[in-house]
Amino acid sequence: MKQRARFPRTAVVGGAALAMVLSLSACGGGSDAADGGDTIRVLVYGDATNKVEKELVATFNKTSKVKVVLDTIPGADYQAKLQTIISSKQAPDVFFNWGGGSIKPFVDAGLLLPLDPFIAKEPDLKAKFLPSVFNSAVIDGTSYGVPMRGTQPVLLFNNGKVLKKAGVKPPKTWDDLLAAVKALKADGVTPIALGGGDRWPTLMWFEYLYDRVAGPELFQKALDGDQDAWGSPDSRKALGKIRELVDAGAFGTNYDSVKFTDQGSPTLLATGKAAFELMGSWEYSTQQDAHPEFAETDLGYSAFPSVEGGKGDPANIVGNTNNFYSVLKKTKHPQAVAEFLKLMYSDQFVKAQLGIGNLPTTTNTEGFLDTAASPDFAKFQYDLVKAAPTFQLSWDQAYPQSAATTMHQSLQQFFNGSMDEDAFVAAMQALPTS
Amino acid sequence: MKSTLGAGRPGFLWAAPAAVFFGLFAIVPLLMVAVLSFASWDGLSDPEFAGLDNWKKLLDDPVMIKSLWLSVLLTLLGVVVQTPLSILLGVWAAGHQRNRAVLSAIYFVPMLLSIAAVSVLWRAVLDPNFGVPAQATWLFGDGNLFGMQSSAIGVLVFVSTWQFTPLHTLIYQGAARAVPQVLYQAAQIDGAGTVRQFFHITLPQLRNSIITSMILMVVGGLTTFDTVLILTQGGPGSDTTISAYYMYQKAFKSFDYGAASAIALLLVLVSTLISLIVVRLSGYDKMRSTMEGL
Repeated sequence: MKQRARFPRTAVVGGAALAMVLSLSACGGGSDAADGGDTIRVLVYGDATNKVEKELVATFNKTSKVKVVLDTIPGADYQAKLQTIISSKQAPDVFFNWGGGSIKPFVDAGLLLPLDPFIAKEPDLKAKFLPSVFNSAVIDGTSYGVPMRGTQPVLLFNNGKVLKKAGVKPPKTWDDLLAAVKALKADGVTPIALGGGDRWPTLMWFEYLYDRVAGPELFQKALDGDQDAWGSPDSRKALGKIRELVDAGAFGTNYDSVKFTDQGSPTLLATGKAAFELMGSWEYSTQQDAHPEFAETDLGYSAFPSVEGGKGDPANIVGNTNNFYSVLKKTKHPQAVAEFLKLMYSDQFVKAQLGIGNLPTTTNTEGFLDTAASPDFAKFQYDLVKAAPTFQLSWDQAYPQSAATTMHQSLQQFFNGSMDEDAFVAAMQALPTS
Repeated sequence: MKSTLGAGRPGFLWAAPAAVFFGLFAIVPLLMVAVLSFASWDGLSDPEFAGLDNWKKLLDDPVMIKSLWLSVLLTLLGVVVQTPLSILLGVWAAGHQRNRAVLSAIYFVPMLLSIAAVSVLWRAVLDPNFGVPAQATWLFGDGNLFGMQSSAIGVLVFVSTWQFTPLHTLIYQGAARAVPQVLYQAAQIDGAGTVRQFFHITLPQLRNSIITSMILMVVGGLTTFDTVLILTQGGPGSDTTISAYYMYQKAFKSFDYGAASAIALLLVLVSTLISLIVVRLSGYDKMRSTMEGL
């Protein structure tokens, strides 16, 4: 039997935070003074893309009576800090998110404004975006987000020089990949670099193999709470493929001590110690920053290979579909917010994003691809995303946040062989789905 | 001062600032956490009373049970490795020779660095491809230090030792200098060598310091967090997920504040219990003087 009881919220918040000896202090700067005025507070993840966001805010403020104030939260703690302030007085009007599971709890708590009325009034707010991307922020049939940065599909990057030396081509099929692994091993390089210490790079192999073997439907079923999905023959077949690849020595033996985030795995690829790396499209800019010469001459990329007899369309992709702006229900200026969101498919937005290496997912992007920082790479990605029947949102973002840690742990343990197939299936079945 | 304050003993007023501070920032939050451990709360909606749900789930959770054992194991390993090391270093550093003073100052450096910085540093030094393991394959093999439970625990113990031995060395240095010289002089007359002097005079005289240092190590060990966060993130799998880190994951990764509070409270209970046991076993509560008969 469940009883309901209310606790003094602020006291509990303060207490819990203090006791766990972790600063929960929200974004810096007092936001109290600006409350109630003619402003919209927009909260974004703090990084290099803020440059574009600032430009757009400036454009908007030139003509609008209601002004936008941009707040940034730097670093990886964005989600934790957002969670803390979103139901408080300091909550923003509009905030950056990853769609899917990252906003599901807010929707469930009734905090977000459905955007469908905006779209009814201005159909472009939906029609101007690639549908496979826009859908990531549709929850239970209602739209809650507008794409606001670049798409980041996961691609199989390679070191062209190493491939050439071993006489290997970027694989088109699973068998190509296995053959490449064999040839590269014989040549004395680690076939595939993997930042297993971060865990999410390992996840990418699961995402693609499940898609290729079983199609995107299996994961969707599992996400909808169907217990049988993870235990199905297709699921076990996908796991078998992963086992096959790991046991073939494709990743070497010390991948769990390597990280992407500390430049470990990208450096392996750039220095020719490894031949492939499966990574989000940000690998490209990472290499441009850290190894500009390599990015210029030898960095290659291809789509994930197909798997013979698999149910998934080889054109399917996985990754971060985009980032989104969502709106809080309690905003005082819904009309101004709608106007602000319309800028997210403006020519200015597209050009600015392309200029710093991001790939927007608006329908007018195509016309500006030549102005991108790396036109070839931008075109390759855009065609891939546009042609993809499904764009699977990363599993750890599609599932509720409460599932992420256990999911990552189980993936890592199955991958490195410390957990067998049955235990992995059981662990995935036990994940919370809503 | 007026005599109404008692026989030279300060009144409650003297303790008030510290007591209020402690109450506000330690006792009150502790009570809140206790309350929250019986609630289900994601930080968004209002907390909902959940009875014993969190506790039941916790005691059935294999990761939780494992995390407690890991906490105890890391603590024990820390004590076993650091205690002899810091006693020897401390006693050695207690000598007044100039070279010892200089070297002691150098040994103290790790203590001045932040734990986070030290952890980041060692993570880089132990990188399998670009760190020391790549150069010393005869020792590290394939360098998969963070990919196996045993070596990941080894790294955690090693880094904590590197960082915290100086503190305990300092404690022993001070204590060793306080040992009355007459004891050594008497022993010398009786013909005791350096080794015998160490075991029969120095060590017994350090008894209270050993207990102090061990309690610090136990408390520090059970609340270890930073090194795990930066070096292993609880991995591989959940193989180095100690209780304090598991609490962090529940609270700030999964946003399950109820479960996190239950872990926090459990950790408080376990730590208190272990401290009590250490105090009892060691007779620390009786504070027997090492100066009796002098």
